[in-house]
Amino acid sequence: MKTYLAQRLGIAVLTLVGMSIVIFALLRFAPGDIVDILFSTGGYVNAEERKAIMKELGIDKPLVTQYFEWVRNFLTGDLGKSYRYDQPAWDVIRPLIPVTLELAVLSTLVAVLLGVPTGVISAIRQDTTLDYVLRVFSLAGLSMPAFWLGMVIILGLVSYLQWIPPVTYVSPRESLWLHAVQFGLPALAVGYRSSALIMRITRSALLEVMREDYIRTAWAKGQSERIVIWRHALKNAILPVVTVIGIEFAFLIGGLVVTENVFNLPGVARFLVQAILWRDYPIVQNLVMFIAVVVILSNLFVDMLYGFLDPRVRYGN
Amino acid sequence: MRKPMLVTLAAGLAIAVVGGLALTPAIGQAPKSGGTLNIMAREDLAQGFATHETSTVATSTPSLPCFSNLVFFDPGKKTDSMDSIVGELAEKWSWQDNYKNLVFFLRKDVKWHDGKPFTSKDVKHTFDMVREAPDAPAKLRISPRKDWYANVEHIEAPDPYTVVFRLKRPQPSLLLMLASGYSPVYAAHVPPAAYRTGCIGTGPFKLKEWRKGEFIEYVKNPDFYVKGRPYLDGIRYVVIVERGTRTAALQSGQLDVAFPGETGRTAMEQLKKAVPTMVFQPVAQNVSDNIIMNTKKPPFDNPKVRLAVSYAIDRRGLIQAAHQGGAVLGAAMLPRPYGVWGMLEKDLAALPGYGKPEDMKAQAKKLLAEAGITAQSPLKVEMSVRAIAIYLDMASFVINELKQVGIESTLKQIETAQWHATATRGDYQIGANLTGLGTDDPDANFYENYACGSPRNYSQYCSEEVMRLFDRQSQELDVKKRTAMVIDIQKRLEQDAPRPILAQRLDYYAHWAHVKGLVAHNNVYNFSRFQDVWRDK
Amino acid sequence: MATSPASPATVPLPATARPMVARPGAFTVLGRFVRKKPLGAAGGFIMLAITLTAIFANVVETHDPIATDAAQTLGRPSTEHWLGSDHLGRDVYSRIVHGARVSLIVGIASTLLGSFLGGIIGLLSGYIGGKTDLITQRVLDILQGLPLLVLAMVMSAALGASIQNVVIAISVPIIPRAARVIRSSVLSIREMQYVEAARAVGVRHLRVAFRHILPNTIGPFIVLMTAQLGSAILVEATLSFLGLGVPEPYPSWGRMLSVSAAEYAQKAPHLVLFPGVAISLAVFGSNLLGDALRDTLDPRLRGA
Repeated sequence: MKTYLAQRLGIAVLTLVGMSIVIFALLRFAPGDIVDILFSTGGYVNAEERKAIMKELGIDKPLVTQYFEWVRNFLTGDLGKSYRYDQPAWDVIRPLIPVTLELAVLSTLVAVLLGVPTGVISAIRQDTTLDYVLRVFSLAGLSMPAFWLGMVIILGLVSYLQWIPPVTYVSPRESLWLHAVQFGLPALAVGYRSSALIMRITRSALLEVMREDYIRTAWAKGQSERIVIWRHALKNAILPVVTVIGIEFAFLIGGLVVTENVFNLPGVARFLVQAILWRDYPIVQNLVMFIAVVVILSNLFVDMLYGFLDPRVRYGN
Repeated sequence: MRKPMLVTLAAGLAIAVVGGLALTPAIGQAPKSGGTLNIMAREDLAQGFATHETSTVATSTPSLPCFSNLVFFDPGKKTDSMDSIVGELAEKWSWQDNYKNLVFFLRKDVKWHDGKPFTSKDVKHTFDMVREAPDAPAKLRISPRKDWYANVEHIEAPDPYTVVFRLKRPQPSLLLMLASGYSPVYAAHVPPAAYRTGCIGTGPFKLKEWRKGEFIEYVKNPDFYVKGRPYLDGIRYVVIVERGTRTAALQSGQLDVAFPGETGRTAMEQLKKAVPTMVFQPVAQNVSDNIIMNTKKPPFDNPKVRLAVSYAIDRRGLIQAAHQGGAVLGAAMLPRPYGVWGMLEKDLAALPGYGKPEDMKAQAKKLLAEAGITAQSPLKVEMSVRAIAIYLDMASFVINELKQVGIESTLKQIETAQWHATATRGDYQIGANLTGLGTDDPDANFYENYACGSPRNYSQYCSEEVMRLFDRQSQELDVKKRTAMVIDIQKRLEQDAPRPILAQRLDYYAHWAHVKGLVAHNNVYNFSRFQDVWRDK
Repeated sequence: MATSPASPATVPLPATARPMVARPGAFTVLGRFVRKKPLGAAGGFIMLAITLTAIFANVVETHDPIATDAAQTLGRPSTEHWLGSDHLGRDVYSRIVHGARVSLIVGIASTLLGSFLGGIIGLLSGYIGGKTDLITQRVLDILQGLPLLVLAMVMSAALGASIQNVVIAISVPIIPRAARVIRSSVLSIREMQYVEAARAVGVRHLRVAFRHILPNTIGPFIVLMTAQLGSAILVEATLSFLGLGVPEPYPSWGRMLSVSAAEYAQKAPHLVLFPGVAISLAVFGSNLLGDALRDTLDPRLRGA
């Protein structure tokens, strides 16, 4: 177990380093001068002032130096300065994290609450009409663009209830109800999508387990169907399900990007889109790195959980 | 007294009282103090409150409540002109030496938001910095409006409450430029970089909090130099990036006031239907749709081809298609009654693109044929455009029009962040552009957009003869003569067609009925201090 | 997806070892497929319809998709404009029809590009094994460490907005996913006896790789591609919605939703509904087809 963990940790670190290089390189080779971007809000380009700004921002140094400076600063918590805000990037990003985190957790909750039970039902009633209906329903969730679902929800509310959800962030202290709605609607839109994959994995994992001999033995022994399913099958099917939940959590950010935009929530994902459109490279670089860290950490967590739950790994090969 | 006289007197008194009572609503209710307003912001501040380092209304307008100018356009008057200029930090001013020296006598009771007193040193500091004077005490990172003050020889502050601008040659327009929303006064004791993250001004509101991406919150300045103002306790600019969401927020009352220039005709109709009591103030934005063409490269170095493009685009059709009627015909300067230097519709009717579409297109084809372009050998060009909806709508219509006269264009989207650099470098053939004028002044327009060597003269149009015309009108002191010169210049510019103007945008500036004392101007940059605005409930 | 070791269930017989039986005709195979997997057949039908619409867009359209019409802005569905008109008076139906072309071209091109590149990497990496495999795995880990959309967004921003760049931007995140699948397939086949036999006889590595192993990865490869096609279409729609995708004037379903729909949603809800339905239908069809193909061609992956 220990070697397994150490291995996974080592790989995680390597991956992070590799990603930092990729992210850094991608953005440096992008078309468009950083200085042009700064000038763009001035609607003005001046060759003489260009040199001064490049020096001020530290972008006249060779690329490799810039990279190592960035890494060193990143590790000490200095994420550089945003171009648009002229403020430390971390100060700009930090207030956004709780919003995205809350949305991510809520979405995962919706996904699990929706996906696991439907997967179980679908497996139990395999190949019946109910199974087909549920499978189509969940596949529809995978097919609909999350942002479209969000737009349709808002449109529905506006057209039929004549009610527009709050467009600016409402804290729970101000109004718990409005806050719940404000986060609940996008969580539904994103969660529905995630639930699809969870449902499919739950269903197929359960199906595979149910084919096993020992399940049939338990059945033959006469215990009621429900106890058989819950006690034996779920316990063994839980491994792949947990794995996919962990993966979905990390990849949720894709759905959050558009949903935060549509519902106007001041989160990390929405800000990423803005920063990309403004070409605010320090922000983009650091946000993408932040996302990478989250993804890799949660993959690591899933790996550890896997290692703990899978007896083959737990007790060594 | 005799009885009849008594009766007459009583009747007279009664009429006076009743008349007075009846007239009161027409004069207006008494302003109430208190309350806050939520105002729409269409994007977050770029470079914070550093108005002198940016050229975007996204920064200048939300910063207005924090700052004061030397002089400003009267907030209560819709049309900005030399006659509507009132003093803010300056109590009085006077031109001397035949419009070569401008003297300001400053108020003595003004304090900065951090308590320090305001003096002439702050004015000299600000404008020396903006014009990049050699002995300026501080430097801006960039100064986009440096050329507004190119004519300033020297700024003097002989005593703490007097400032003198000494010019190289007479320029009456300098006052107009100082009155623009783009000309606030910075504090000399605050480094200019600090304005990118916060705001120390002398304006009616103090900055309370700027939560990035969410809102900019102001509170009432208790030491404001105009006693009894502002009426409001606070204002909050709420950042909403999606257009549909913005309108929805206004509709549902989550916002009280729209952002200047953001209420198009369709939005207006939707809001009106949903909220019948919503107030709309149709004004011109002093933002024009235009086509820029690179005059230094083929095919648009040929003036006939440029003129053909201008003929081909049906102006009225554009106004209907791209603006749903929310725009007006106009050339380089804003037409009456929105501005004072524009051409009348009868003058415009003779310009290319303003006549009957079939005739105009026929004329365009004729011109193109002279340049060797026919339906058999069409011209293929790349139209550059910013990747924003309002630009794309205009471009889509124009592409369709050009197709009908034999010019095939493909769209090339340029990111907003690259637009100015690309256009300034001349890295394009033809482009769909929007131009906003900081102030309704011929000098600001001509020198910025049509003068040889100006970085925002994207077409790189350069005519010595026209430059001389610019200089002549700039020094003309008689307003009537000057207006006639300006109209002639506009005709000339449309004939040379480096930048054919397609339409002047309208804004249906929307706000809820409980917002009082708010007057929209025919210019998106010059109003929104909110110092005379109050809430009715 | 996490690397799930191939379960020791049935492995499809290698091509060289198939018994000599008359191959069933194409129509019979199709018929069998339709009967056994009705959902998959439905998906296939949807995809076929969309493909045909895309190919024959110029025939099926009723108006020029980029022609503006000032008099008919924001019109409801009518006999003239079957699905209504947008804020510039352009016909929504014709734009959706042409949008199919864009979505399919971008989706298929990026999926093919990503899957082929990834497939080759996976094939070589799995076959060669050892240090090369280890290093390749880590590099692939890096590419996969970012959610598909985020990586595509950053790439699109880095490369600039054009249809070729969007294809590249979407194909890059597909490469590691494709490589993973092919690699695991290769790993299981590599140890098969007939491969060892071929090596023992002296067949060169490259020949073994391409002649014996590759044909048996076709099954998982096809499944992978149909699965990724749905993803690719979705990512393209999202990128276009955010403004980072296919630029004007190509009509794109995603951009139709962001430009026109969001702003005029209340006045013209049909602008929101139809492009979204189109996207959902395309992805749905490709997912259904992919699922059914997977069940048929590669039962090993059923649990994955």
